[in-house]
Amino acid sequence: MKKRWIAALLALVTALSLTSCGAGGGNTATDVDLTVLSSTMVYTEVYNMVTTPENYLGKTVKMAGTFSIYHDEKADKYYFACLIADATACCSQGIEFVLKGEHSYPKDYPKVGSEITVIGSFNTYKENEIVYCQLTDAEFV
Amino acid sequence: MTQIFEKLALYFTYPFVRYALIVGVLIALCSSLFGVTLVLKRFSFIGDGLSHVAFGGMAVAAVVGVTNDMLVVLPVTVICAILLLKSSTRAKIKGDAAVAMISVGALAVGYLLMNIFSTSSNLAGDVCGTLFGSTSILTLNKIEVWASVILSVLVVIFFILFYNKIFAVTFDEDFARTAGTPVGAYNLLISVIIAVIIVLAMNLVGSLLISALVIFPALSAMRVFKNFKSVTICSAVLSVCCAALGILISILAGTPVGSTIVAADITAFFIFWIIGTVRKGVGK
Repeated sequence: MKKRWIAALLALVTALSLTSCGAGGGNTATDVDLTVLSSTMVYTEVYNMVTTPENYLGKTVKMAGTFSIYHDEKADKYYFACLIADATACCSQGIEFVLKGEHSYPKDYPKVGSEITVIGSFNTYKENEIVYCQLTDAEFV
Repeated sequence: MTQIFEKLALYFTYPFVRYALIVGVLIALCSSLFGVTLVLKRFSFIGDGLSHVAFGGMAVAAVVGVTNDMLVVLPVTVICAILLLKSSTRAKIKGDAAVAMISVGALAVGYLLMNIFSTSSNLAGDVCGTLFGSTSILTLNKIEVWASVILSVLVVIFFILFYNKIFAVTFDEDFARTAGTPVGAYNLLISVIIAVIIVLAMNLVGSLLISALVIFPALSAMRVFKNFKSVTICSAVLSVCCAALGILISILAGTPVGSTIVAADITAFFIFWIIGTVRKGVGK
């Protein structure tokens, strides 16, 4: 009988502790500062931003990482991104950014692979039925 | 020190950190409870074999495109656990050979399937993450969190309710059989539960490191305590502490979650080994 009570109590405590973990988070409505987080936290937060972008739309995001570019030769268009790696260094992911105002590559951009810090507004766009995330009106800090 | 606490306070405002800690602690608790049984029954390597099977199942789930991969991984791992148990009693390919065969076979087929059919843009990253559990526990969605919590609680409830039978089956199957305990049924249940724990633990430490989560706390406790109850309780407390400490260190220092937890388990093992040796010396 005593064992059954312990088992029931355990189930109840676990359920209560989980329901207390509601929405919230360290992000304010206007700012997600990834530069103050550890690499494991940054990787997880960027993963969340990419998998659930609807939770971050319109928020101002500040992130630090490695500068990377992709050149679409067909459309002759450059895509710029800030990449971050996970703790095992086998996975990396990044967020594309579009600088505020008129800029030309390579004149107004740092060297590929250099460390950058960007701040911009988090948005999504659709291209070939795929949703991409990007920081618009971005600036280097 | 104040800075560390401030940082921890900031990190705890993120729901995924709280989820990771709850799920991580529960998984560590389950794995340590049954870890003692596995070690005493000399089934330590079955955990390792099943974790590779779980990796294969996860690859199949990814290829088929199942949103919740647990729906594929869990049944596949449970079936293999039952097969392995049966093979150890009456099959032509016995014990360690069967474990090795299923283990490497599932690992190879899983990776092959992922290579041929995966639509992911970062295959190496996906495989690495699954094998070493770099951040898996921090990226669980709500359904996965609830599934993990419910399964963990069921495992702990089962252990508490059937503690005496598990004890009997672990130490002396013949005596348990003579006393009227359906040993075969209990062994089957234990292997199914081990499979559930393996699937859960994959999220915490990755499929290559699961054995450490099962074996280290039990072995550490055995250095100091000598009866089943004390070893089980010590193993559970130790495993929970190491998992919580590992998760906290990894988010603070930016280290991979899985290997940080295992490093904490290894450190605890050496501390307990020293305590055990000193106590033995004093006792003489």
